[in-house]
Amino acid sequence: METLTSLLSLALIASAVRVTMPILLTALGAVYSERSGVVNIGLEGIMIMGTFFGAVGNYAFAQAFPQTVANAPDLAPLAGVLAAVAAGVAFGLIHALVTVTFRVNQIISGVALNLLAAGLARFLNILLFTQATQSPGVRGFTPIDIPVLKDVAVLGPLARGISPMIVVALILVALSQWILLRTKFGLRLRAVGEYPLAADTLGVSVTRMRYAGVLLSGALAGMAGSYLAIEQAHLYFEGMTQGRGFIALAAMIFGNWWPVGALGASALFGYFDALSLRLVRLPVPSQFITVLPHIVTILVLAGFVRRAQMPAADGVPYSKEEE
Amino acid sequence: MKARLFLLQAAAPVLAIGFGMLISSIIILAIGRNPLEVFGVMVRFSLTRTDSLFSILFKSTPLILAGLAVAMSFRVNLFNIGVEGQYYMGAFAAAFVGFTLRGLPAGIHLPLALLAAMAGGMLWGLVPILLKIRRGAHEVITTIMMNYIASALILYLIADVFRDPAQAGTPRVRTPDVAAAARIPSLAPVFNRLGFTGSDVQKLNALLLIGLALCIVLAYVLARTRFGYEVRAVAANPGAAEAAGIANRRVEFWMFMLSAAIAGLIGLNDILGFFGYLDIDFPKGLGFLGISIALLARNNPLGVILAALLFGFLDRGAQGVQFFARIPKETIVIMQAIIILAIVVAYELMTRYIRMQRKREAEGTPTVSPPAMAPAP
Repeated sequence: METLTSLLSLALIASAVRVTMPILLTALGAVYSERSGVVNIGLEGIMIMGTFFGAVGNYAFAQAFPQTVANAPDLAPLAGVLAAVAAGVAFGLIHALVTVTFRVNQIISGVALNLLAAGLARFLNILLFTQATQSPGVRGFTPIDIPVLKDVAVLGPLARGISPMIVVALILVALSQWILLRTKFGLRLRAVGEYPLAADTLGVSVTRMRYAGVLLSGALAGMAGSYLAIEQAHLYFEGMTQGRGFIALAAMIFGNWWPVGALGASALFGYFDALSLRLVRLPVPSQFITVLPHIVTILVLAGFVRRAQMPAADGVPYSKEEE
Repeated sequence: MKARLFLLQAAAPVLAIGFGMLISSIIILAIGRNPLEVFGVMVRFSLTRTDSLFSILFKSTPLILAGLAVAMSFRVNLFNIGVEGQYYMGAFAAAFVGFTLRGLPAGIHLPLALLAAMAGGMLWGLVPILLKIRRGAHEVITTIMMNYIASALILYLIADVFRDPAQAGTPRVRTPDVAAAARIPSLAPVFNRLGFTGSDVQKLNALLLIGLALCIVLAYVLARTRFGYEVRAVAANPGAAEAAGIANRRVEFWMFMLSAAIAGLIGLNDILGFFGYLDIDFPKGLGFLGISIALLARNNPLGVILAALLFGFLDRGAQGVQFFARIPKETIVIMQAIIILAIVVAYELMTRYIRMQRKREAEGTPTVSPPAMAPAP
């Protein structure tokens, strides 16, 4: 009974909400990429870039403009987020170039991006901070209260003193769902992921839409990384993503390639993640709790939880002149 | 035409390595150093010293196995990203057999340890391949998840279950020593007789020979046997292979198991060949390097040997560069990643060019100018 109440405690749920965010943002990115027909397992590497540039952008801005930061302290973390998004877009561009323009196998390109990101982060960290694995500490955003929700009895503790990035992420989910369902851009993006030849025949540029999908995934995964570094750890350290990029891909699959579905799946994984961080007193070794998200991911992929409905042309390079 | 195709295939990796060097040169220039000097240090340090040459062979040994393991799954269009976790399990299984059994002769104990390593790898490979074949779960994500699970499990086994009681009270977290009979013999006696001595000569062990033999045997099997023919048929056109009576699933399953079994051996270079116990800090990341090596070698078992030697050379060179030229060795990691990206693009362009040539030949029009580097729009 004691175990059960601690499993549902507010502190645990609040922590789950926090650790859900990086998974959610990356999963949202994966939705855009895969809806356009490009599998992006390089998202893990892009997240690494996001953690690094998030911390560096934040730190550099605070160093360069101490006066400005003293007046408006939130500008430094904002600079970090923007730097992380820019780095994510740059990495997305490499993936798009290699897979859409050169039509190289998408998995291979993703694997190479992950290797590149790991090496680059270490290298740049040595250059900037003379050591490979860790950046100096950085400041996070000023926590905010959500106007109406903070007065609701049950939700109150969850809506007070939270990161503004959480609010942004939740708005992005709703916005993305609307974009994919209702806008011309969303329809075209889904069309090139389902049946590129038909979309092409109707005058939609498959290349342009796929670039858009991959670049958006890079931007969102970069932002997810910056959340980890700026809002959670308050610094960059090596290996801090812990495979969340891959878990986000699974969350996207579990969420059936829809933003709202990805939200639900990310929340589930976030909960397990929080459980492993909090170490609720359970009668099993801690390592077994740590791997719970990974085990759930496998079960989800194996379809033990639900059947997947992936875009028909997901992972298939498209070219006009052949076949 | 055939000679030109061969030249083209050889040119792709050379171009990719050149491109990797170019980008690293830009990085080295950007931090205000002379790339020629850095590459000079690298080549001199790696190739003109006996200890470096033996160190390269020692470092290449697990890389050969890792590249071969990944290549075997790639050959049937399966992506075994789980080589990493499979070799953790293999390393543990071998260490377990090594430190629990006592008094066996080396002729029995060592083969038993090798078999245990392969079984450990296969056990870890079994989950993703069965889920792939039975349930359609994509092996890329499931194998990555299995890597994390293996990592946590090994941590638990070494730290909580089989921790060497002799190390209690010390910060060392490792298993008990492996019996001498289960250790892989060093090649030092042979090389000592040839006049090579030193600690790096001592490290080199017979697993290198096992790796080389596996590459040669598998090159033959894939090129010349019935099973090899089936593998090529399934990879080239699964539908046609199935129609011709080749069970795709069976071929895929066994190639994946082969991949996982070879993966199980990767860790043994350090565990049974050098340390003699499984430490919590045993070398990690070799499985991911294997992916790079398989890509560079285009999944050709003999190419794997060359690619592994190249990566062994780069790794050793990186140490030299860090020590003598004081350039972060991560420069070389970045170069490796760039080489991989460049090589896959180069191979893709080459394949496309060859297809175009064939089409032209088939249509009877004369061939035109050499390939443009720019992609078709």
